[in-house]
Amino acid sequence: MNPATIGLIAVAVVFFIDVILLTGLVSLKAVHRRRRRIHAARRAEYVTVLSRHLAFQHHTDPFGTNIADDDAFLDAVIDLRNIVSGTEIDNLTGIIDRSGLAKRQEARLRSRFPLGRRLRAAVSLAEMGDESSAPVLIEHLDDREPEIRIQCARGLGRIQHTSAIDPILERFGFEQPWVRARFADTLVGFGTKATWPLVAYIRVNLGHDQNQGVIEAIRVLGTIGDQEVGPTLAGVLRVASDPEVAIATIDALGVVGGPLAIRPLKYTFRHPDWRLRAKSATALAQIGDPSINPVLAEGLEDENWWVRRNSAAALAILPGGTDLLLKAIESEAPFAADAATEALADSGELAAARARFEAGEANHGDRVLLGYVTAQEAVPK
Amino acid sequence: MPDVKRVLVADDSATVTTLLATALELEGYAVDTAINGVEAYEKGITGEFDLVIMDQLMPGLLGLEVIDRWQQEGHVNRVIMLSGVDDDRTVVSSLDLGAVDFVRKPFHLPELMARIRQRLLG
Repeated sequence: MNPATIGLIAVAVVFFIDVILLTGLVSLKAVHRRRRRIHAARRAEYVTVLSRHLAFQHHTDPFGTNIADDDAFLDAVIDLRNIVSGTEIDNLTGIIDRSGLAKRQEARLRSRFPLGRRLRAAVSLAEMGDESSAPVLIEHLDDREPEIRIQCARGLGRIQHTSAIDPILERFGFEQPWVRARFADTLVGFGTKATWPLVAYIRVNLGHDQNQGVIEAIRVLGTIGDQEVGPTLAGVLRVASDPEVAIATIDALGVVGGPLAIRPLKYTFRHPDWRLRAKSATALAQIGDPSINPVLAEGLEDENWWVRRNSAAALAILPGGTDLLLKAIESEAPFAADAATEALADSGELAAARARFEAGEANHGDRVLLGYVTAQEAVPK
Repeated sequence: MPDVKRVLVADDSATVTTLLATALELEGYAVDTAINGVEAYEKGITGEFDLVIMDQLMPGLLGLEVIDRWQQEGHVNRVIMLSGVDDDRTVVSSLDLGAVDFVRKPFHLPELMARIRQRLLG
């Protein structure tokens, strides 16, 4: 056989294989599309039947015994559950119970099905599960798949199953950061019910295993904003050697607020690490107590630009702070004057001073501010 | 034959339109649906609806934009806004533009139906 014939045969074989593969792919796509269309049509039928059920309260339960195996029914129930409230939720919960829908998803979650089906079961339970689903959701907080662990935590948060807070926290330090972040979202959803378990977690884990999970736990406390944790956070700030832990604690103290938060923040405002000083200025501003103004005024002369900027921004929003900023402009400290001017421009005070000046109503402070700005503008760049 | 009231339900969620259309039809109203803002706008300019239930976030045109266009062009439609957007500005803007009511999603169906009945009586 000559080489040309061999080449032709090779081309024909490749072409034949390509045609077979392409036909297979097109057929698969067509089958998939058809299945999706059938699924969508069945789901629409179920939505109609369920809508009649919800709209007509005394309607007889119209569903068969094997309905729980139909994913179209599952999707219809979840869709409706997300748009109604009140007695309709009870009504749908009754349908979920009678049809065995949640039990079916629990069985799928426990099965050896591929990840896709188990994940779908976990998502479904997160969307529609109730207290009876809590044990299986807690069990699967230890699932080998992180996405499933996340969905189980989400479901437990949605049903506000407070006994799940401790199991979630038990996993907190071992999880990868992205999973931990999702667990943190769930814990925030528990609100103040999660406060003391989080405090206990922080007390036990602070200073161990590179503070795994401690920073996130502190952030969760800050987001929940329960004032009761002020003393705990102050204690953390006193002993924290890790600057990241200290920064998270300062942020949380700013949100939690209260008089007990001021003293530790005054301390960190004079810390050698400029990041802690800058964060403390912002946190003190959030607390909003003007008794702190003289301390913040010291920050206007800090060696670090961020500390000066944050201190000036804090003074710009605190009662009486503007006077201290104007005093800084009159002083001979150029960095402090710059920071103060910038904060007054950002807060709108500079524009207001210009307006008063043009109206012939400028006061001493306005003239100080406008005089400084004019002098700066005259300086050749 | 008694005069049948006509209601337009505009929402990009087929589940919402099905639920509301089913509930309204069970109460004897004639219902039409729209799945986006443009379709809602076009159906509303005929002026044949006694009430429009309108979602705020729809593709094509937002619910508020649809009401605004109707107003500018002189088409009068009584609208109940339905929205998952839970901010006061949307509520105030809807009422300022002439919506007769605002209902947040997820909604309590009997309560929404009571509001609809009340508006259709007026």
